[in-house]
Amino acid sequence: MEIKTTTKNLDNYKIYLQVEEAVHEFMEKNKYLKIDLPVLSPALIPESYLQVFETDFKFLDKKEKLYLIPSPELFLKRLLAYGVGDCYYLGKSFRNADPPATLHSYEFVMLEFYKMDADYMGIADVVLKLLQSISRKLQVTSYKLQNKIIYKGKKISFEKWEKITVQKAFKKYAGISEKELFNHKLFIEKAKEKGYSINTSTYEDLWSQIYSQEIEPHLGTNGFPTLIYDYPKEFAALAKLNPDGRTTQRFEFYIDGIELGDCYTELTDWKEQEKRFNNEKKVIHPIDKGYIEALKYGLNDCSGIAIGLERLAMIFANLTSIDQLKLINIS
Amino acid sequence: MRISAGNLKKSEFVNFQGGICQVMKADFYSPGKGSALMKARLKNLITAKNVEYAFKSNEQVETLDVVSVDMQYIYKDQENLYFMDERTFNQVSFPISVVGEVSRFFKEGEKMFVYMFDDKPLTIRPPMSVRLKITGADDAAKGDTVSGAKKPVTVETGATVMAPIFVKVGETISINPETGEYTGRV
Repeated sequence: MEIKTTTKNLDNYKIYLQVEEAVHEFMEKNKYLKIDLPVLSPALIPESYLQVFETDFKFLDKKEKLYLIPSPELFLKRLLAYGVGDCYYLGKSFRNADPPATLHSYEFVMLEFYKMDADYMGIADVVLKLLQSISRKLQVTSYKLQNKIIYKGKKISFEKWEKITVQKAFKKYAGISEKELFNHKLFIEKAKEKGYSINTSTYEDLWSQIYSQEIEPHLGTNGFPTLIYDYPKEFAALAKLNPDGRTTQRFEFYIDGIELGDCYTELTDWKEQEKRFNNEKKVIHPIDKGYIEALKYGLNDCSGIAIGLERLAMIFANLTSIDQLKLINIS
Repeated sequence: MRISAGNLKKSEFVNFQGGICQVMKADFYSPGKGSALMKARLKNLITAKNVEYAFKSNEQVETLDVVSVDMQYIYKDQENLYFMDERTFNQVSFPISVVGEVSRFFKEGEKMFVYMFDDKPLTIRPPMSVRLKITGADDAAKGDTVSGAKKPVTVETGATVMAPIFVKVGETISINPETGEYTGRV
């Protein structure tokens, strides 16, 4: 890896700064408390698909393992349980094994915010207002469009969402029926029929391959950002299940096939959360027991979303890769 | 050699679903649910078709040692294009239907690369740019000064391309054979 310095991205970087500023202004105006957090933690929430960076804290003969946070969730949820109310974090998160790519970096800026007494669709309303607010701020200097931006020559309006369930999207774009989507055996057969290599692949693996290959490219391409919601329970992570028992209150939103944010109605049931944590394998770090303790203490109904700020700024700056926003890139 | 799809690099050759393909694009992608992926665009060397595929990043992929060999384009008939390896004088041929539109810009006697795998010729590697003499073109109409105005011109291989109105018969121009676009005056 090497350090690459460039000032040719200076104009793009300034757009990034404006987006960041617009987010802070929006959050302050809507009474979300800004939370600064440690990025090193002695324990983490177990999420087996995330790989983490680890380091040693050394002092005289003492040595302790610390981990860079892959998301601020473990800290923010504790604070929510202790009654901090609507709040947000805008800062660095770290994911090992994410090589620098057009939409990825092992070190990235995440906006994560939580709203009390809201479900995931309540967050969707806030996100739309946030997008409008950012576009208004940028219009002052660049676009003369009301609540719209131009991305790669196409108009995207933030007047409303295009909403689609995961189930409808699989039917519409991949020809996979409701029955096939929720039945692992049928789904794997369908994937094989489509030409995917099913050896050593789980339902979750194949689901991700088909989702990314056949569904995502269509999302956010009809003039509005797309909100795709109600994922199969296998992708519940820290989200609440729907009453149907097979889908979860989770949405993601997209512009031009690019995923920008991931929202859950938060799971507040500590027993269910502990069960899910115990099912996570392949986790190398100590598990944050305090998280379950905080849930036991009592987390009121709330929802939260994580948004990749560089990806969002990339869209507003009409760029195709996040490294185009940066003055220093390491790759 | 077998490698993890996460290590795929642009321009490598792989066996994909039984076809010999070149990696045109490989971008790491982690959806944050399920496994990380390598989103690739693969070009089948034989059919020249592009396919998009999302590999699991830990999925095993067979890479192939496809080599490029310098050959001379000799001639074509109704169906095939003929090339000769100048060191061995061996001749190989490819159907025009497989090589595609790029062959309109091949000039007899020109050197080109041929992809070989296991000593078998697969297809030609289209040059990035070809230089061809203009053999037919109308004079620019007077008063037609719109910037960017173009006219059709015929080049020495018989192909027609759109070129700026200022180019004349006898001049040499460069063309991208894959897109058929004029790229400059030589």
